[in-house]
Amino acid sequence: MQHSMTYIAVEALVKIALLAFIMMTAAAYLVLLERWVAAWVQDRRGPNRVGVPLTKIKLFGLGQPLADGLKFIFKEEFTPKHVDRWLYTLAPLSILAAALASFAVIPMGSSLPPIHIPALGLETDRIELVEAPSLDVGLVYVFALSSMAVYGVILGGWASNNKYSLLGGLRSSAQLIAYEIPLGLGILGVVLASGSLRLETICTDQATSGVWNIVWQPLGFLVFFVAALAESARLPFDLPECEQELIGGYHTEYAGMRLLLYLVAEFLHMVVAAFLIVILYFGGWHLWGLTGSESDPGWGHALARVAVLSLKTLAVIVLVMLVRWSWPRFRFDQLMTLAWKVMLPLGLVNLVLVAVLYEPELGGRMVAEYGAWTRAALGWGVMLAACAVAALTAPLATDNRPRLDWGVR
Amino acid sequence: MTNLLERLTAWWHAYNVYVALVLVAVGLYLLLPRRRSWGRAAGAVTSVIGMGLLAARSPAFAGFFQQGVFWSLAAVTISAAAATVTFRNPVYCAIWFALALLGTAALFFYQGAQFLGVATVVVYAGAILVTFLFVLMLANPKGQAYYDRISWEAWLAAPAAAVLLGVMTVALARGLPAIDPAVPAGSPDFPVPAVSVARAMSQPRVEEILATDHMAHLGGQLFSRYLLAIEIAGTLLLVALVGAVAIVVHEQRSRATVDAAHPTAGHALTPAALAAGRTQHDSQFAGAGANIHE
Amino acid sequence: MQTNDPSITWVEEPRLGLAGKMYLPLIVQGLTTTARHLVSKKVTVSFPEERPQIGNPLIYRGVHRLNKDEQGRVKCVACFLCATACPAHCIDIIGIESPWPDREKYPESFTIDELRCIFCGMCEEACPVDAIELTSLFDLTGRSREEMIFDKEKLLSVYDQTKDAEPTQTAQLAAEAPALPPSSGGAS
Repeated sequence: MQHSMTYIAVEALVKIALLAFIMMTAAAYLVLLERWVAAWVQDRRGPNRVGVPLTKIKLFGLGQPLADGLKFIFKEEFTPKHVDRWLYTLAPLSILAAALASFAVIPMGSSLPPIHIPALGLETDRIELVEAPSLDVGLVYVFALSSMAVYGVILGGWASNNKYSLLGGLRSSAQLIAYEIPLGLGILGVVLASGSLRLETICTDQATSGVWNIVWQPLGFLVFFVAALAESARLPFDLPECEQELIGGYHTEYAGMRLLLYLVAEFLHMVVAAFLIVILYFGGWHLWGLTGSESDPGWGHALARVAVLSLKTLAVIVLVMLVRWSWPRFRFDQLMTLAWKVMLPLGLVNLVLVAVLYEPELGGRMVAEYGAWTRAALGWGVMLAACAVAALTAPLATDNRPRLDWGVR
Repeated sequence: MTNLLERLTAWWHAYNVYVALVLVAVGLYLLLPRRRSWGRAAGAVTSVIGMGLLAARSPAFAGFFQQGVFWSLAAVTISAAAATVTFRNPVYCAIWFALALLGTAALFFYQGAQFLGVATVVVYAGAILVTFLFVLMLANPKGQAYYDRISWEAWLAAPAAAVLLGVMTVALARGLPAIDPAVPAGSPDFPVPAVSVARAMSQPRVEEILATDHMAHLGGQLFSRYLLAIEIAGTLLLVALVGAVAIVVHEQRSRATVDAAHPTAGHALTPAALAAGRTQHDSQFAGAGANIHE
Repeated sequence: MQTNDPSITWVEEPRLGLAGKMYLPLIVQGLTTTARHLVSKKVTVSFPEERPQIGNPLIYRGVHRLNKDEQGRVKCVACFLCATACPAHCIDIIGIESPWPDREKYPESFTIDELRCIFCGMCEEACPVDAIELTSLFDLTGRSREEMIFDKEKLLSVYDQTKDAEPTQTAQLAAEAPALPPSSGGAS
């Protein structure tokens, strides 16, 4: 159906406004979840006092994000004398813009049936649950924006005119650049399998076949998961802002609203990473027997898909939060070793594996002769073998013994 | 179509001149030097928006929305590019450069060339510019470094830029003669410039380029027709990488000989030790696993 | 300090086996530990609703009290030993001649600045007649500094408040060793 420019513009604006609102709220509540998980893992209870403002209703502490936000807003908007004012202001804005813009290509479900409300004179088409449905290069777009996020970090570090900030910014950019390669390799396997860079297509592929990519690409998942953790600077990869060494890293000199922008952007990065993990490897909105796999679902299936996708993403986020409390942070050289000497070869192995499995003469014939389970078996076998080989040949990335050979070589 | 939207649109068409006049009035009031002036920047913005709305009513600016996006993107890109070469502070130059590249990417998007747009950001704005910033941080941007703050060979650069601009203008003017000014202004799905440029080519090419699956098509072209170019570019980058590693390894070898010659002085503050420390620092970026906690 | 400094002793980290080097088993192990704690019993005490269990209230060092004897008189003999022992100098006593025949002096005023007190328990140790003791009351709050300077009446009222839950040391000793004569209780 052809639409007027106004219809397209209004649909896009409504989606953008809704998504921005949902994501900012989600970031606020994820801060609460993070504090809860941190408390529970340490056998504490976490924030449970703040409820409805001005009443005594506690609501398990669900009012905490409001209090946190108000605290940041009412803090003094302090700008140190020694900073570069323009870039100091620009940096948090740019990182938040990049983080929010990433959501343009992430599907939040599949699509909603047409809405028709005569009272309001409202009549729509099917609504695709993604801001930019016609964007053909979704994954590369996310990739581009994640490289734009480096700007916010390095600008903030430089403009703060502080040695800790600068070191944090430098570390962050080195880390992000290094881990973009395994990240890309983790994505490539999936892209090769479904032949598209559109996240919706990748979802639909897994839904129609009923086999999630994790089932037969565990190695790709491993590489992508580790790289995504590193890209969103979560523990054990939070070197850009490790408190013990760098105070706050690149946002040492920030306070109030600007710091809030940085923190929200960090959480949004994690949310994007979780969405990508779910969509690329865990079937997106698909769950056997619950969501169906037709391309234009009715209300029941459409809402079930939104719910399934959200719950899966939430589960991944909780896993990421658990990871935070399970391992200490890497040393910087270990971080680099892991990226270049472990994750990069593993990613290449996965790419070759997927290519072989999709080659009609090799993988195609094998699947045709022995059944589809051979693909999964081969995937897991190759993962174990590759990890074993990496363990036997590569230097242990987490070796904490002091390196005598640095002094004398 | 939607009744609500139609009503809103009709309202806007009927009354936007009044909205514009109010905006201009408010903006002008804010701009005027009153006894206690405040909000002058807001006033400037408001009055510019109002005047823009008024100007949009003139027939000379038909299709203002479509054209306006293009022109504002172009203006941002060109002014950012100009700022890139004219600013004194190298870090600001880098930021303006990033903005110019973002503008270019947006223009690509606007033409429907999604992959080119995204690739511009990934390749330039991402990788190269971050490396660029590394260099700038080592280049002492705020200190007394006079050599970083002036334009070298300005008398060569300016004529070169002028010549390049002239060549491109002539080439574009000759290369796109088929653009028909009578073409109706844009289908709803694709904005004007994309259609008009695409019309300059043959019709099948248009469909090929504007097809939703153009990524696969582009990939196919890159790895069949332009395979040699891709491979050469890749090899070139590989050579650069090997070269960087070779430099690091060479310096470490020479340091080892120095250490062997003066075993006790290996870690005193000699120039050799300093060089060794620097080598360690560099090698970390080459992925050679050195120590950052020096 | 350089890595080849002879004064450094190098300690080797235990080496990991193949499973450890492959990370995967260790990752599962670590996540299991974290997940177990996620659902385990929480140790936090939700304070105002829930009172913490104090291990042994008799040896806990909380708010002070001034004990009374059997006739309801303050036990203190104004000997100043507690004020002398106090490292924070927070005890202020004015002693006057006692109206009772069993002692020479008694405190006309006895104030403790609870804000200066460090709750070390020295006063309790020093007291020859077990007149001053630290109770197990820990939620010591006030709205002003003046309110936190406890006078004799306040300290005696703390005794009334806590005497049932925490008997005085004299009473404890009497309960443990009934053979001892009551007069020798304070000398322990």
